[in-house]
Amino acid sequence: MIDLIAHNLAPIMFLALIAFLLLGYPVAFALAANGLFFFFIAVELSPYSNEISLSWPLLQTLPGRVLDVMRNDTLLAIPFFTFMGIILEKSGMAEDLLDTVGQLFGPIRGGLAYAVILVGALLAATTGVVAASVIAMGLISLPIMLRYGYDRPLATGVIAASGTLAQIIPPSLVLIVLADQLGRSVGDMYSGALIPGLILTALYCAYVLVISILQPQKVPALPLAARTLRGSAFPLLVLMVAALAIAVACYLLLLPRIENGAAIWAATIAVVLAYLFAFSDKKFSLGYLSDLAQRVVIVLVPPLALIFLVLGTIFLGVATPTEGGAMGAAGALAMAIARRRLSFGLLSEALEATTRLSCFVLFILIGSRIFSLTFYGINGHVWVEELFLGIPGGAWGFLIAVNVLVFILGCFIDFFEIAFIVVPLLAPVAAKLGIDLVWFGVILGVNLQTSFLTPPFGFALFYMRSVAPVKAYIDKVTGGKIAGIETTQIYKGAVHFIILQAIMIAVIVMFPGLSITDEGPQVDPSTIDIEILGPDLGGGGTDGGTDSGVPPPPSFD
Amino acid sequence: MGALLAISRGIDAVTRFVGVQVRWLILVAVIVSAANAIIRKTFDTSSNAWLELQWLLFGAVFMLAAAYTLQKNAHVRIDVISSRISKTARDVIDLLGHIFMLAPITLILIWLSAPYFVDSFMEGENSNNAGGLPVWPAKFLVFAGFLLLFFQMISEIIKRSAVLMGIIADPAAETVHGHSPSDTAPSGGHNE
Repeated sequence: MIDLIAHNLAPIMFLALIAFLLLGYPVAFALAANGLFFFFIAVELSPYSNEISLSWPLLQTLPGRVLDVMRNDTLLAIPFFTFMGIILEKSGMAEDLLDTVGQLFGPIRGGLAYAVILVGALLAATTGVVAASVIAMGLISLPIMLRYGYDRPLATGVIAASGTLAQIIPPSLVLIVLADQLGRSVGDMYSGALIPGLILTALYCAYVLVISILQPQKVPALPLAARTLRGSAFPLLVLMVAALAIAVACYLLLLPRIENGAAIWAATIAVVLAYLFAFSDKKFSLGYLSDLAQRVVIVLVPPLALIFLVLGTIFLGVATPTEGGAMGAAGALAMAIARRRLSFGLLSEALEATTRLSCFVLFILIGSRIFSLTFYGINGHVWVEELFLGIPGGAWGFLIAVNVLVFILGCFIDFFEIAFIVVPLLAPVAAKLGIDLVWFGVILGVNLQTSFLTPPFGFALFYMRSVAPVKAYIDKVTGGKIAGIETTQIYKGAVHFIILQAIMIAVIVMFPGLSITDEGPQVDPSTIDIEILGPDLGGGGTDGGTDSGVPPPPSFD
Repeated sequence: MGALLAISRGIDAVTRFVGVQVRWLILVAVIVSAANAIIRKTFDTSSNAWLELQWLLFGAVFMLAAAYTLQKNAHVRIDVISSRISKTARDVIDLLGHIFMLAPITLILIWLSAPYFVDSFMEGENSNNAGGLPVWPAKFLVFAGFLLLFFQMISEIIKRSAVLMGIIADPAAETVHGHSPSDTAPSGGHNE
């Protein structure tokens, strides 16, 4: 009997973990407790099985493992990007963007839906916080969409789905965590996810386009009376063409002088000039631009500039993701101050939310490091490997199985838990099968993004529900009675977007080139990482400083 | 029980104070990191002490705020089952979880990290990076974080027992059990 337990300790430990987690006790502590209990059991059983390589002195490595989590430079990007997103959200950026972009696209069929998708993508590129995006868009756009008769499932679906773009478009938190767990640089993961994220955005737009052709009554255009910003979009078009011309000219001028990123510098110059033009047009009432054009430029440029500041510098290899995050957070603060929206209360609230999120995320990681000490010590990774390598079809079979598994898990548990518990088990198997880990990470990223949309535990759906009207209400503008939104309508709307997500996953799986960056002239951000090379603070930790979260099996004597 | 609840209130007040004040270190970390990045780019120089300060500040935030996060019931849970069982059953699970899961973890980590920190302090251990910071503050944070967490756990055990005995109303009742990870806005919950 003891022999049987000793030889099957890994599966037993894993099943026990599931039981521990399902109890509903905080994940971080359940993980750690599971690791600790099985550490004791494993040491007691070690005479019975040669698969167990744990002994009492190894317990001494625990404080070092906690310290390793603390010293992890990559994870430092988590509070920075969270803080940046919350500051932007609380200083009303989403509201301004939605108002303006809604006015810009409102006159065309499906325009409000496009506006939601584009603003969702813009917010995603700055915040990475799904809750904030869905709630802001649900509060601002949903009432307008309902007022003018948008199809309900479509309206809620498009808002919820666009909000989840924050998960896949850099700088997303889940990509940071995945990069850490897969042992790849965050910069690589960001460049890998960028194109798929944009394609997904385009896919959403294409879906709205198809609907607007096949079932135009579902996505009506805004009536004239609803347009508050006067003027045509024509001057905007002229301005864009002019900016483009300037950009091209600058590019040609700069190209011989700058090796790296001439295009990005050129684009920056053009955008800054356009902004200055619109700004002075407004300031001095020059009247070159229509109200609409003026407002679009003035509202859109600052977030775009911030996105450049953060993502541009990361992609150019000028800054590490952590530095980019710090710059972005500082930039967001500066923007909030410039708009006179920063108050002590707002700052304190943003810091509180950031602290809370960082705290539980990092503690789940600490818990999973305690878990992994034991799990690897009893050869658990070998068991998982054998399990997955047994799937027919090699890499393809593995990818399909993993995607189905993560999709199902995603219906019930959070992406952080999947990223910290499941991904480290899968990563070595994927590497063994020759799967590029960035590509793998991006696939998982889109899959985890889908988990926000899957009933019954999709968080984007919860947020949507929390802001969608439950009961019928009287619309303030038209005075008409508008029925509430049923939960089934929200679910129904989500289904279409889940299908789009599935298509996207299939596309990335079939075209790895979308996320595996080929050998280009670009600087690999990982090469300019400022390594604080590992003094072994880990108290003799078996996998010291440069921890990838995929700890190698401990080799003890 | 009255005395125990008073102790619990005392612990709560301490962890709340630490957990609330420590958030400002994030702002400091943002400023330090942004400055580091700018200085590294413009003057092509960087200081290991300042680079190490970044993660030390962040470490202080999450280690020291963990106890307060527990007090606010904000550590994520998987609520697939717990959302379907009675409030009393959830309270019992919490109580047993504190005693059988959290207590061993915090006790072992306190026991292990105390010498870990003291030795480093006595030796005056310095970072291996040229011009780096002393190591003991980081090691101290591990110790202090788990110590605070241990005391908060004691407080939670007292409060949870009192709730089960019907002596006090649930102090965490307003926080939704098991909420979202990336959630920073009010958690909506299901309306159905």
